[in-house]
Amino acid sequence: MTILIVLLSLAVGAYLIAVLESWAVHGRLQPARPAISALALLGRESLLARTPDRLLFETGPVLLLVAGLLAVAVIPLAPGLIITDMATGALFLNAALAYVLVALIMAGWGPNGAYGMIGGWRFLGQFVAYAMLIVMPITAVVLRAESLSTVDIVTSQSSLWNIAYQPLGFALFVAAAMGLCWLPPLDLPTAPGDLAGGVEAEYTGVRFAVLRLARMVIILALAGATVTFYLGGWLGPWLPDWAWSGIKILIVAGLMVSAGRLVPRVRETRYLELSWKLGIPLALGNIFLVGVIVLVVPI
Amino acid sequence: MIGARQGTMTMLQRLVAAAMSRDIRGFVVPGADVARAAGLDLGGAGLHLSATPRHANVLVIIAPLPAGLADAASVAYGQMPRPRAILALGSGDLGPLPDADATGPLTQAGLVTAMEDLRWVIATGSFRSDVDDYEAPTLQTRTEYTCPMHPEVVQDEPGNCPKCGMTLVLRKAAVSSHAGHAMPEKERDMPVETRVETTSAGHDHANDKGNKHGGAHDHGHAKHAVSEPLVQYTCPMHSEVISAEPGSCPKCGMFLVPADTKSEHAGHDARHGHTKHAADESPARYTCPMHPEVVQDEPGNCPKCGMTLVPVEEAVENSGHDHGAASQGHDNGSKSSHQGSHASHGNDVVIEGIEAHFMSMTDLTRDMPASEDGLKMEWIGVPFGPFFPGLPSGLRLDLTLDGDAVAGTSADSAVGLSELLHEDTTTPAAFVDQLAALSPLSPVAYSLLACLALEQAAEQSVPSSVARARIAAAERERLTSHFGWLAGFGTQAGFTWLEKRATALQLKLRVAPVIEIAALAPKITALLTRIQRTPLLKARLKGIGRLAGDDALPGPVARAGGIARDARSDDPIYTELGFTVLTATDGDALARLTQRCGEIFQSLELILKVGAIAMPEPHGIGTASGTGEAVVETPRGAARLSLTLHNGKVTAANIETPTAAHVDLIATVADGRELGDALTGIGSLDMSPWEVTA
Repeated sequence: MTILIVLLSLAVGAYLIAVLESWAVHGRLQPARPAISALALLGRESLLARTPDRLLFETGPVLLLVAGLLAVAVIPLAPGLIITDMATGALFLNAALAYVLVALIMAGWGPNGAYGMIGGWRFLGQFVAYAMLIVMPITAVVLRAESLSTVDIVTSQSSLWNIAYQPLGFALFVAAAMGLCWLPPLDLPTAPGDLAGGVEAEYTGVRFAVLRLARMVIILALAGATVTFYLGGWLGPWLPDWAWSGIKILIVAGLMVSAGRLVPRVRETRYLELSWKLGIPLALGNIFLVGVIVLVVPI
Repeated sequence: MIGARQGTMTMLQRLVAAAMSRDIRGFVVPGADVARAAGLDLGGAGLHLSATPRHANVLVIIAPLPAGLADAASVAYGQMPRPRAILALGSGDLGPLPDADATGPLTQAGLVTAMEDLRWVIATGSFRSDVDDYEAPTLQTRTEYTCPMHPEVVQDEPGNCPKCGMTLVLRKAAVSSHAGHAMPEKERDMPVETRVETTSAGHDHANDKGNKHGGAHDHGHAKHAVSEPLVQYTCPMHSEVISAEPGSCPKCGMFLVPADTKSEHAGHDARHGHTKHAADESPARYTCPMHPEVVQDEPGNCPKCGMTLVPVEEAVENSGHDHGAASQGHDNGSKSSHQGSHASHGNDVVIEGIEAHFMSMTDLTRDMPASEDGLKMEWIGVPFGPFFPGLPSGLRLDLTLDGDAVAGTSADSAVGLSELLHEDTTTPAAFVDQLAALSPLSPVAYSLLACLALEQAAEQSVPSSVARARIAAAERERLTSHFGWLAGFGTQAGFTWLEKRATALQLKLRVAPVIEIAALAPKITALLTRIQRTPLLKARLKGIGRLAGDDALPGPVARAGGIARDARSDDPIYTELGFTVLTATDGDALARLTQRCGEIFQSLELILKVGAIAMPEPHGIGTASGTGEAVVETPRGAARLSLTLHNGKVTAANIETPTAAHVDLIATVADGRELGDALTGIGSLDMSPWEVTA
């Protein structure tokens, strides 16, 4: 039952995010747009590239979807409304998202096309740049909650949300999350201007639909993770718990999806430089700072 | 897809077809920049642009299709997933493409009507059963080179046969696999067989050796395969897999390779087995997998990194037992540079369970060229254009990529200038039109150029008010052209907001009278101020595509580098209007953006000062004879035209355009750069491939 409810809300969320994304790209708010696009994609031929690595080509999008769904499994929407409340939830989220990298490299390599391959390699090159900035802020969150369980992490914020408690971690986490779901301005693996679609370039029809859906799920999973870790999850007055989760997740996802249209894409080298030289030291500093606060000030 | 549909569609098909008719994704030929310059608001007509033909269902063609783009357009059409359609605007031949499904004149109204037709065509004809398959003619034959003596030697480039040294000869081969999927693949247009030959070309010698010994070691399959004319395929990992046709291994999915390349691995296998055997008998020494210099007699942990030591076998000890096949098959490895550094420890250190040099980067990349960063990687040639979304349309750019860094460039225009004069005697009016049609991105500047040259040849002068109004027209074009560039930069950099705003302004300003331009002035100012304040913009452009100021640079590119060169400064009318040359300092992509923004302001001021706009038309040429020469600063730099007029007809003409210089700059801007930076640099030149002279 819980699984059904979560999957249903996931579907609704993915649809709403797709509406937002189409608004960000096309500049018009058309609520029916994603349904039309999805139907149209299903009607189109799903081409196979000329000499593909068939296994990787077919598996990439599906693995991406699986990675996203696994990550969603540990996001609590309300007390009890979580697919599985693992004792190691925060770590599990991280492990599930590691497959995003694998899936993208597979999708990039599979079609045997240069644009896709470079897109996949770009993402591999960014691995440490975003992955460290996902893990290290989570470490600081976990420090405060003294638990890896995502439910405990939410309840640990009852007096003060983590966005106020550790704003630095929040900023780093959101930036890294956008890199992980390759949203503009960090859409380097797909970069329409550099790579004409990159890892997505050779996918058409149903396979492309799966790829897009998988990406929506990953965006929602990461927005959910942001809300869980920093915005107090389901906590909030007046409204029911699930409504707070839903509202917060949609706002975060909406901001992540639409922010990129206002700025140019970040250069690959610049992104790596910032993440390694600035992001990682800041994240370490954040862990230290939170550690000190946890010891000194009981909030 | 035109005509009565065959049979009836099911409900589901109807629904999907209706959805497809409302989700029109276009791939524009020659490109969005030309569409904008022609005044088409594609987004406004409900046409979403896609970056690749793979994601498009409509090929939008702005006709006539230039001859140089016909092949590329047919390939793009072939790449589109079915159901697909063609929408042609304007009139003219579509070359090898099938007939258009919807057509219209080259105007916004024409586009809107054609879109309506197109929607109907898609909604009713998407699932027709009699749709013909389409294969791009250019993909049906493939040029390749082969040795007259060794037909198995096939490569894409001319050269000598690696086996006998003879010069390879050209042949055209039919492409067997599905045409139309020729996206820039890693090994473009190559069937599996050829592909393997190429990748293993560097190891041919080793293969021959391995082959002999492979045979001696009872690898009957391999030997058999070689002696037979028919090539057999086998898996590099599973020698028991033998297939008569190329394909992938049922066990591991790897590409099957022709059997004779396999025998090198047979040699490896033989040695491998032996290694194991020897290790079982006397695992005398132990070493660290990370630090080969650590060798000791007892098992334990590495003193350097703490890893568990693994048993070793030194090649020297073993050499007595070595079979021919093992040492031969391993010939490859003993050349390794790795070995030299560890020479003091005797010989090759072999770790049990790991094939020597297995996935060794040093080995894999030994014979590969290194680019400036010193990292050796496999170089690939990747074609960009002529329809690449981040580049000016019509530009054919081939980049040699070393990883994602550009190691080499080759660029040319697919749509360059052809004969300037179609006939010996062209009337002045026809000549002006012809010159305007040369460059779809800046027709007004070229008509002005033609008028000025004609009038000079006829020794005519126009009234000052007309001359001023013409200048205003040229300045309006400069303004719109720069907005067009800004929109293109927006596309390239994924800066959607800028792309939308700049496109909207370009479309509005293109034919706007002075009053409207004055009304739009605050909007223009707001946009330009907002651009300068965009976060991440500086980081994106600073230091990219920097060009040292020298004489070869054209127009805004030169001025962005601090060279105050502008053909307008020699024009007395401009001087009257108070024109001064505007320059920037850095000469990089950021400076070029700033420069163009500054020039937009300047053009705006000039137009408002003149207060009237008139399109250039030749005045009072009559039946004059003479020669004339004129220079006009086009949005991309100074263009010079000289012509001869005889009895009122143009008999000879010669033009110099600024864009020829741009092509030469591409290598300077792109070489050694990361792919994205290289493309940003090339984009910042704002070149117009249409004006490149052959």
